[in-house]
Amino acid sequence: MNEAAEACGLSRGEPVADARAKAGFLQVRGIDPAADDAALRRLALWATRYTPTASPYDEENGADGFFLDIEGAAHLFGGERNLIADLAHRLECFGLPARLAVADTPGAAWAAARFHPKLSPILRRETGEDEDCRSSYVILSSGEEATALSPLPIEALRLTPEICVPLRRLGFKSIGALMDQPRAPFAARFSAQLMRRLDQAFGRLDEPLVPIRPPPVYHTLRYLLEPIATQEAVVALSHRLMATLAHVLTRDDVGARVLRLSLYRVDGDVKTLDIALTLPTRSATHVARMIALKLDAAATADDAGFGFEAIGLAVIRAEAMPARQTELAAPSHPSPASGGGSEWGHADKTERCAVLIDALRQRLGPSSVRRFKAVDSHIPERAEVLAPVTGEALTGLAPEQKAEKPRPLLLLPHAEPTEVTALVPDGPPRRFSWRGVSYEVAGAQGPERIGAEWWRLPPFSAQCRESDRQSLTRDYYLVEDLGGHRFWLFREGIYGRETADARWFVHGLFA
Amino acid sequence: MTQHAALSVAHNRAVLVEQLRRLLPGIADFHKTLPFGLPAIDSRLPKGGLACGALHEIVPAPNAIPAAFGFIAAILARHFSSVAPIVFVLPACGFSPSGRLHGHGLHALGLDPARLILVETAHRRDALWAIAETVRSGAPAAVAGFIDKLDLKSSQRLHLFAAEAALPLFLLRPAQNLESSAAATRWRVGTAEAARDRFGLITRPRWQLQLERARNGRPGEWVVEYDHVAHRFSLAAALADPACARGTSKKADRQAHCA
Repeated sequence: MNEAAEACGLSRGEPVADARAKAGFLQVRGIDPAADDAALRRLALWATRYTPTASPYDEENGADGFFLDIEGAAHLFGGERNLIADLAHRLECFGLPARLAVADTPGAAWAAARFHPKLSPILRRETGEDEDCRSSYVILSSGEEATALSPLPIEALRLTPEICVPLRRLGFKSIGALMDQPRAPFAARFSAQLMRRLDQAFGRLDEPLVPIRPPPVYHTLRYLLEPIATQEAVVALSHRLMATLAHVLTRDDVGARVLRLSLYRVDGDVKTLDIALTLPTRSATHVARMIALKLDAAATADDAGFGFEAIGLAVIRAEAMPARQTELAAPSHPSPASGGGSEWGHADKTERCAVLIDALRQRLGPSSVRRFKAVDSHIPERAEVLAPVTGEALTGLAPEQKAEKPRPLLLLPHAEPTEVTALVPDGPPRRFSWRGVSYEVAGAQGPERIGAEWWRLPPFSAQCRESDRQSLTRDYYLVEDLGGHRFWLFREGIYGRETADARWFVHGLFA
Repeated sequence: MTQHAALSVAHNRAVLVEQLRRLLPGIADFHKTLPFGLPAIDSRLPKGGLACGALHEIVPAPNAIPAAFGFIAAILARHFSSVAPIVFVLPACGFSPSGRLHGHGLHALGLDPARLILVETAHRRDALWAIAETVRSGAPAAVAGFIDKLDLKSSQRLHLFAAEAALPLFLLRPAQNLESSAAATRWRVGTAEAARDRFGLITRPRWQLQLERARNGRPGEWVVEYDHVAHRFSLAAALADPACARGTSKKADRQAHCA
């Protein structure tokens, strides 16, 4: 319901037919909680421009607003009053009338934002910030909670109706009436929620906030007088942000492993870019380059809208990075002109490799740079996996894979069925056709028998297993045709024991 | 006396050429080469081996992509035994008709798969960018890639990058669309019957190598075999009589007909 609907005298819970009778021009839209949640989440993300800890309300709190923990952040805006005024002004500019309150505890702030008499009167209990008439705010100074909260109704304590209704029946209509009563009878009569909420409102009990994003380890933010929209400007600015962060990182002997760039658009939307690095770094040049590549790939600058008004750079994960003496003539990053590989120390090589892998990842995607990792299995397609390259793996080598048996250089993603002529049913192939071409076998080598991994099979009956391809033993042959092409063929199932007519497959190609 | 003067002039000229060479980018490392260890091949190549800071094209004969890739792997295994990684830039879908690279198979050719870094790209544009980026970074020991189409300008760029970083760059090119390129050498790799021991077991793979183009070198054609334990190339013709090989294939023909 919006203001116009209220002016027509409509109220909640009314049938649509009645409402239409009162106001014939009524437009009815279905409720969409998912969209509401998404919008609230977007707004909370936007509000991280004030403080990293923004926590949307959970269901118990009504799920229609969010807490901001502005402790330690208010002075950046010239005090709480300026911060809240700025926030109110910006929300008003978005066309979102909101009720704002600043207090020492989340409970008190919640109560004040909803029920404080100085704020615009509450027309509808259940509706939240989005539909109020006037944007306004209150600030409860420290120690003032008791006097400020005492005239408010008991609903301001975030109590469920099961508690509120009996309390009202008993005559406790305001918080003040409840505040100075002995606790024991209430604790015995009502559930623990009442006392918990009361204590939380007055700061006697801690109320942890769940931030919408885990707060970063290090964080820097810059507000811009003039919004920027070009990619070059974003990159240049993030270079400067990283340079300011680098001092703090150097002081703490850590480097950034995961960074997050937040771009706050003028219209209240927030774009975030996560940048994961292979090795911890403090280099502003490196980070700026990664951001440039990432922006290239994501084309974020294209939907800059009216521009970005604030840019934040946060270190999500920091790792120990001991100070190292830099070499005297160390060339800056993209300097291919000087130096062959031999002059570079091992650490430098590793670092350059990490820089390269980072750059490739930003543009090609996180899973594009991988390496082989041996798996302890005899089944060829399971014998190795491609694992992402990590910084730890760059410095040390993986354990050596051992293969005494012939293994193909190229393995087909799926074994492909083939027609094979053999002299005896369980003998090596003499001729086979694959992909429409027939090959004469000049020499076959094998078989190498590879059994199924019975411990991986589902525990079914024997009949089921026969039909299951995974449970069959394979006999592998290295086959060379007259033209010198070398193939890896296998026959599935042992004659007589596992299958009546065995099928042949091509599984790989040798060099 | 005149002879002496002529000698000194020649010497001065040689010194001057050497100085000029050093001025050009990458030329200082140009004399670092990767020899095959086979005089027959090395004598055809400038400075007696594959140039280190250069682009080399490997073109597979029909149905010989595994052989061509095996040839690259053999060169890499032979010359780069240090810990520095080797980067392979491959299409994300694998070599579409021929499957994917298998680490155990690389190990069987003597190349330690733990040293490989595989970069998978979805488009040719990305692949070109990734190869250029990798070569320019100078971090890996060598770079190998698969590019289906490469115009002259891109190949010149890649060649220059490789020269500047003094890295060998091997590009596997399918034979269908071969444009002229700035590559230092172009090899055509075909299949050949493998070397067998007296029990008929395959011991060493053999490839038919054709040096189609070589800058400052001479083209040639050989059948080489590769020993993955010793990382050594050898000429197959020196070991096996071609007539003999023909005989075996005829015998096999006959056997096949019987079958």
